[in-house]
This record gives sequence, structure tokens and C-alpha cells, in this order.
Amino acid sequence: MSTAAFEFGPGDFERVAIERRTQTLSRPSVSYWQDAWRRLKDNRRALISLWIVIALAFFTLAGPLLWRVDPAAQDLDQVSQAPGLPQVAVIVEPYVPWAGLRATPLAAPAGGPGAAAGAGMPTDAAPTGLRLVEPATTQAVRLAWDPVPGATGYQLYRNIYDTEPDGALGLPVAEILDPAQVSFEDRLDLEAVPYWYSVVALDANGAEADGYVTLRVETSRVISAAEAETLGWIDDAAAVAIGDEIVLPYHPLGTDYLGRDMLSRLMYGARVSLFIGVVAPLLFVVVGIVYGSAAGFIGGRVDQLLMRFADFVVALPFLLFMILFKIAFGIGPGESGIFPMLVALVLLAWPATARLVRGQVLQIREEGYIGASQLLGAKTTYLVLRHMIPNTMGVILVTLTFAVPSVIFTEAFLSFIGMGVAPPTPSWGSMSNEGLRTMLTHPHELIFPAIFISVTVLAFNLLGDGLRDALDVRMRGQE
Amino acid sequence: MAQDQSSGMTADSPGTAATRDPLSRVALRQIALLAIAATVGFVLLMAALSWASDLTSSSTTSVGAIDVETGTITLSLTQEPPQLDSTRLTDSVSGMILGHVMEGLLRYDINNQLAPGVAERWDIRTDGATFWLREEARWSDGEPVTAHDFVFAWQTAVDPATASQYAFIFYVFKNAEAINRGELPREALGARAVSDLELEIEFERPVAYFDKLVAFQTYYPIREDFYLSRDGRYAADAVDLLYNGPFEITVWVHGAHVRLEKNEHYWNRDEISLNVIDFPYITADGNAALNLYRDGQIAVVNGLGAESLDQVLAERWPVRRYSDGSVWFFQINHREEHPTSNYNLRKALQLVNDPGELVYKVIQIPGYTPGESLFPTWLNGQNGLFRQEYPAPTVTPNVALAREHLEQAKRELGVDEIPPIVLLADDTPGASKQAEYYQNRLMQTLGLDIRIDKQIFRQRLAKAEAGEFDLALYGWGPDFDDPLTFGDLFASWNLNNHGEYANAELDAQVRIAQESTDQATRMAAFGRIQEILIEDVAIIPNYERGVLYIQDPRLRGVGRRVVGPDPDYSRAHIVAD
Repeated sequence: MSTAAFEFGPGDFERVAIERRTQTLSRPSVSYWQDAWRRLKDNRRALISLWIVIALAFFTLAGPLLWRVDPAAQDLDQVSQAPGLPQVAVIVEPYVPWAGLRATPLAAPAGGPGAAAGAGMPTDAAPTGLRLVEPATTQAVRLAWDPVPGATGYQLYRNIYDTEPDGALGLPVAEILDPAQVSFEDRLDLEAVPYWYSVVALDANGAEADGYVTLRVETSRVISAAEAETLGWIDDAAAVAIGDEIVLPYHPLGTDYLGRDMLSRLMYGARVSLFIGVVAPLLFVVVGIVYGSAAGFIGGRVDQLLMRFADFVVALPFLLFMILFKIAFGIGPGESGIFPMLVALVLLAWPATARLVRGQVLQIREEGYIGASQLLGAKTTYLVLRHMIPNTMGVILVTLTFAVPSVIFTEAFLSFIGMGVAPPTPSWGSMSNEGLRTMLTHPHELIFPAIFISVTVLAFNLLGDGLRDALDVRMRGQE
Repeated sequence: MAQDQSSGMTADSPGTAATRDPLSRVALRQIALLAIAATVGFVLLMAALSWASDLTSSSTTSVGAIDVETGTITLSLTQEPPQLDSTRLTDSVSGMILGHVMEGLLRYDINNQLAPGVAERWDIRTDGATFWLREEARWSDGEPVTAHDFVFAWQTAVDPATASQYAFIFYVFKNAEAINRGELPREALGARAVSDLELEIEFERPVAYFDKLVAFQTYYPIREDFYLSRDGRYAADAVDLLYNGPFEITVWVHGAHVRLEKNEHYWNRDEISLNVIDFPYITADGNAALNLYRDGQIAVVNGLGAESLDQVLAERWPVRRYSDGSVWFFQINHREEHPTSNYNLRKALQLVNDPGELVYKVIQIPGYTPGESLFPTWLNGQNGLFRQEYPAPTVTPNVALAREHLEQAKRELGVDEIPPIVLLADDTPGASKQAEYYQNRLMQTLGLDIRIDKQIFRQRLAKAEAGEFDLALYGWGPDFDDPLTFGDLFASWNLNNHGEYANAELDAQVRIAQESTDQATRMAAFGRIQEILIEDVAIIPNYERGVLYIQDPRLRGVGRRVVGPDPDYSRAHIVAD
């Protein structure tokens, strides 16, 4: 039985099923974009920045719909108001000019104490009886005093601090060179705060005497019904009576130097900043992509030529061209400089993107899969659209997010130096410029636009940073 | 670095939930470290800066604002004096400096009255004038000041080759206008040195205010041999000037430093108490000047802005005021192609203009007064103040009436909407603020679209001269103490009438005011000019400017004036405290 023939029959074989799957994925597949988004979400700074950017967009687009205040409306009764609670004013009669009080000038007492020869008035003479003629309001403060013998006139001072103990009389609000005039009406920028008024007599040479009399005056905030109606604070002047209280328009973030609402101005200002910040980079990045990919793809002498031209454009001074465009487009005085700014940005800022895209395209062109694709008969358009652009997308997006803050900053800078928007259109830059003047006394006028510029620029930068990390395949899994 | 790498490797593995926490902890630690580094860095930087500023200030405090022993006062200038050649000078900073180092035939004293300068006595007639010069007047090189020096300076000023903007101020001289037009040689000027000390002047027409003209800075003397020896560099540097005033310029570092020292050859040197007036700071920044004052570096801060008043009050510094004499108004373009040539539109603008609101609520600086007329309140009339003798016609703001005029204007111009109106303004903060106020005011009341054209001073002037505006915020300061300095501004031939306003009756009145020597007739003419300007809305007055300033209490006797060099420190003195 040792060499018994052994034959295999068909029954011995079994068809093996074709195993197509060589590998199993135990988890769902993650695409490039999904992975990028996952990693962006893990980056807390970038995520917060993203929320800030969304909030800014909401502030700009929806804000003016919710806070319906005209950014150009001037509330001259509430100039340079700090952020705070709403103010209340009492309705009064309309302002009527006041002739003032007159008195017969008194002759100098003969040989009074301290009287210099010929001067007529003692050098320490002080007026007496300084009084309010009627209750002091923000409409007018009317003061009167008793004539000083020998005085040729009076000098009036006003202080917002107590004149004592050192006799700092404050601002010289009026000089009265008529000795018969013993009254004064103050209408200068009156606020509902206490004032210290002082009167000093002038001697024959017009020099001030050493003595003075001071009166503390409490002013109350008032407005006439007609004025309130003109300003649109009440609907009908006849509906309110003298003595009624009305609430003045509320400015949550205060007002600027012409009484314009800061919140509303910030919202409208953001429009300009964000509009140019988004539109300009979009435009010049597109130009850069087309230019850069053309140069990179065609290569050779064309590439050299195109890139030398890009180098030339980089060397052009931006500010100069901005001014040239302004003139070339016939942008007259008082018209917005936003359009020439946009044109100048698009025409001058694309080379950076073009260079980046060209570099990427040059690199990708040599990759194996491109060669394979070409061997399989892929056409140029297919190569560019299917391989080149998707693979440079990360770089492009990052350029875009970094371009946004830099353009916003450029806009703010140009508006700051007065090259951007035309008044009364607000922009964060022009608001900062205006706020700079009152930095010490009314810091909110500078701080708010400055905070908005800084936060916006920072948010876009951090977001761009996060995007770069998320989109860069080499950075994958490194953080 | 290596640590990061390895932790990164593990992060790649599926256990994301476990690795997320350390990750954010790393991020938080990074942020915290960054914050600490930033704070520490900031503090260090500030400390270094304050240390550096201590270093620099300690090196200069040795001078201080006022030095009693050496009789030195230290001040700041708002700009480098652009032109110290008296024949070409137009601006106030140069005028102030030159006022300290030069002296004309007459000058203004501390009470702003005319006083003898180089001239000892004078005689002014209807056909001319004679001045007798004092013998002891000297140039800073010791040479006597002679009548020839005046004649040479005046001939140079009217010479068309000099192209002086103030040549017109000599037009009362015989032949001056013809010389300036190049029709006669400069020697034909109606001024002649009879001897070294006697100066004879021939008038073109009678002039009632000649003594006031003579005090003007374009009338300062220039010595011919010195002028020629400078070979076109006259007044370019401290050594290129010869001085006959109480002080002389010893240091002039352009853009940085000007120093005046007492002129030992000045004839009236005993009256001068200060030895040195030093201007080591040139800054137009009001805040910088305030800080210098607070640090005791300068003795005077001029022209406080509304935004610094609260700070000044809090510091309890004594504030003073004076009127600088200038009047500010809307210059209106009357050329036919501009909508503002329409009377009803101008009337509408006039009726919505509220100078009170502008001054009290927008400008907010005490010393400014609402404008009512081209003629400021301080001008002297026949016996008292001009404006008391001839009150300006009052205009009460009336929006309803203004709208009626506006409708009328639209009908006359044949338009549904008035085209955008260009408002030309300086690019200073103050002018911008006023322009924006008017932009809103005219939009609210009349629905007018105002385009603000902000320009630097020189450019604004060029645009005004070219007529490229509808409205312009415009100021005019006096050259001499007579209503004529304002009165002839809107004569049709006046070169500063940039809106080309032309009114035959006004022209006739200006002629009367120029040629008459009877003060009553002249004042009546000015009164009529004032009326015409308001009634015909040739201009719209805005305000008269006041200036607030703070001055070290130890410094006394500083002259502040409307006409002439201002401020005048030449007769100031120091009191020790």
C-alpha cells in the first residue's frame, strides 16, 4: 500500500472567496478638512478668537438694527459724556437773551486804605453781594453783584473745584470793561455740576484787584420743550409742561467731543474696518493665486519674468499710490477715500500671496502623483483644479486670515492720519485720532476704538495662527 | 522641545480624551507665562524710561523756567520762525521774535499805546509826514540807525523782486503801487532821507492812520551795506541779521532752538530788565507745552485747548485770557458758478447759523465770543469803541424762515437739491471740530450735503485764492489799529477777497474810508460797510477768538496785544518769590 496512486478530484478543491478588503478601519474615516476642524477646536485660543470674530460680525451687521442711533447726530447737551447712567432734564421756558443789570458806577472813596495815587480804587477791593439772579440751570447762569467804588470793570472766573484754600479762581470766563455792568450771564458749556464763580474788580489801569468774592452755584440740567422736539427727544412739544422731567437720550458708551453716540459710531466704524478688512484680502488673494499658480506652473522664463514683476510691485510705496489713486479717481475733498484704498491694496498687496502660491505649485509639480496623473493623460486644467489648488488651499487660507488683521490695521492707520473715511462717517482709526486729543480728560473716547482695533487684530491673528497649525499636515498631531 | 515631540506622539494615538487636559494645561501655562513676561517687561520698560527721563531732565533743570540771578526766562515756540526778513514776514511767530530784536519808528508800549521808537518826534500832514530820528539809536554792531536804513527797507519791500505779500501796506506812499507793479524804479518811492536823522515821506493820498502803520513790522529798518554783504542770505541765520531792538538773536538752531540776549547797543537798554529770553523748545503740541510748564521748564503756555482746561483747573494754575483780535467767519464764494452766489441760499445759511451754540457748546473755550460782525468789538471808533457807536445788525437764528429762503434758492437755481457744498477748513483739531459741527448743523436744519475739505494752512490758502470752495472757515487778524484793517477786506480789488465779492456801494464806502481824514465820515463809512456785509450776506461771522494762557506768577509785565508783536516779553521783569 505504499505506492498506491493518489488522484485529486475536483471535489478536493473549494473555491476561495475573493477577498477584496485587505484592511479594515475600525474607526470612521477622517478627511483633511474634518481633521483640520478637529484640531482647530482643540486650540482654545483659536476657538475663542473665532467666537470674537463671529461676535464682531454680529456687532457690525445686526448691531445698527438693534441700536438705532444715528452715528452722525450731535447731542450738544451731552458732549464728551463718560459711559454711565441716563440723564434727566427738566423742561423749562426757551432761552431768552438777558440784558443784564446795570448800576451807576460809584466814584472811588477819597484816600481809601491802600489807594494808590490816581488809581482810585483800593488794591484789595472786593465786590460784595455776589448772587444768582435766578436759579442756575445748564441753559444759563445769571449772576449779579454790587458795584465796587472806583472800579473800571470786572473780571469773572469760574472753577469746577473749590477756590479755597489757595484762591485758584479757575477760568476767566468774562472780562467786563463797563463799570456800569454789574451782572454776567454764563452760557459756556454748562454741565449739571457745582461751579465756583468769582468776581474781581479792575482798577483804572485795567489791572485786577487782589480781593475777590466767590459764590458756589449748583446748576440743574434743563432743556426747553422746543429744543427737545427739534432734537427728536420728545414727539410733541405741546405734550410736555414746564417742570416735567424727560430722560435724555441714553449713551451706554458715552459720547464723543461733538456729543455723538460712541456705541453707534463704533458699530458703523466697524463696518468700514471689517468691510475693507475682508474684501481687500479676498480680492488680492485671488489675484495672487492666479498670478502665482500661473508663474509656478508654466515655469521657465515666464516664471522669471512674472516673479521679477512681482518684486517690482513689492517695492512700490503703498501710501504714495494711495494718494495717487485718490487723485486719479477724482476723489474730491470731503469724499470717502475707501475706494482708492481698496484699489491700492489690491494692486499692491498681491505679490506676497503670489510668491507663496508659486512656491507651493513648484513643489507640487515635482510630486510623484502629478507625474502619475500626467501619465494617465490628465490635462493641465485638471491638474491645476484637482491637485494644485486643493493642495495649496491651506497656505492660501492662512495668508487670508493673516491679511485680514493687517488690512484692518492699515485702514485704521490711514483713517487715523486722515486719508481714509470722510467725516461724518466714523471709522475706528479716525475715532482714535479724535479721541487722542482728549486722552487725559475723556479717556473713553480713545480707549473704546483702540480696544476694538486691538481685539479685532489680535483675534484675527490668533485665528490665523490656529488655522495654520490646523491646516498644516506636517503639524499634524504635534500639539 | 524633545518633551513636546514625545507628548505629541502620544497625542496622535486614539485616546484623545485623556490627552486633551494636559494639552490645555500647557496652553494655559504658556498664556500665563506670556502674561507675566509681558507685565514684567512693561514695568521694566517704564522704569527704564522714567530713569532716562530723570537723567535728561536733571541736565536741564539747572536752567528752569525762570532764573532770577541771570535774568533768564525759558519759553517754547509753536513753530520755527519761518521768515525773519521784515520785508517778507507774514506770520505771527516770526512777528513776535522780530518784535523783540527790531524797532520801528514807533512801537506799542506795555499799555498798547503808540510810543516813540527810533523816531523822537514826528509830524503827520495830509500830504506827507516827517520823522526826526533819535541820535542815540544804534545797530547791534554799534553803528547809528539812520533815515537811510528806513528808506532802503521800504524800497526793498515794495520792490517787485522782493515779492512781499505786505507790499500793499506801503500803498499810501507816493508811487508805491506803481513801483510794486514794476512801472517805476524803486528809487521813485515817496520816502527820502533829508539827513541822517530826518525822514521825509510823501503820500499818494491823505491817510488818517499813518502813525499806526509805521509801527507795523514791515516798516522796520534794514541797513543797506549789511543787507548787500549777506549776498541774498539776509535773515537766513542769526549772523545774517543786524538788530536795532532791545534784544539780539544769539542762537538760532533751525527747528530746535532760538535764544535772544539783551542788545547792549539798544538806545533804551536801561528799560530792559531781562537778560536772556530762551526758546529751547519748539512744539506745536499743547499737551507737551503743558507738561513742560508742570515740570517747571517753561514760564508760559499759550493758547490752551478746550480739552486741557480740566487738567489746568485740577492743577490749580492761574489762567489768564486776552483777545488776539482776530475775527473768524465763513468766507463765501460769490463766483457765479458756485451755488453760494445765490442770495437766498446765503440768507438761509445765515439764518441757521447760531454763533452762540458754536462758541458755548462746540468750542467751549472762555474768551471766544459769538461773532456778529466783521468788525471786532475791540476796535476803536471815533470816541469810544466802534461797535458801540455802530452796533452790528442783529441776526436771530430762524430755521423756518431759512427753509423758505432755501426753497426760493432752489427755484432760482433751477435744482431739486442743492449740490454738495464744499467747506474748506484748516486741518487743525479746532477747525475740524467746527467743520464737523457745521456739517451736521446744515444737514439737520437745511438738509444740505456738506463736504469738508481739510487742508494744511498753506494749501488752504492756495485753494481759497484759486476759488476752489463754496464756504471756507476763515480768520482775519488786524495789521494796524484802525477799522480799515478789516474794512477793505471785501473791496472788489482786495487780493484777500477770495470769494470775489463785488458790491459797488461797498467799494464806494471803502474809498471814502481810505481817503477821508475826517474820523466821523470814516466811521460812518465803516458802519455802512458793516451793514452791507450782513444784509447782503457777503460773509457769515462765527466768532472772535480769545486766547487762554498760563504764565508763571514770578514773570510780570508781559505785553499781550491785539496789534503788534504778541506776546511782548521785552519789558517784562522777574519778581523773586
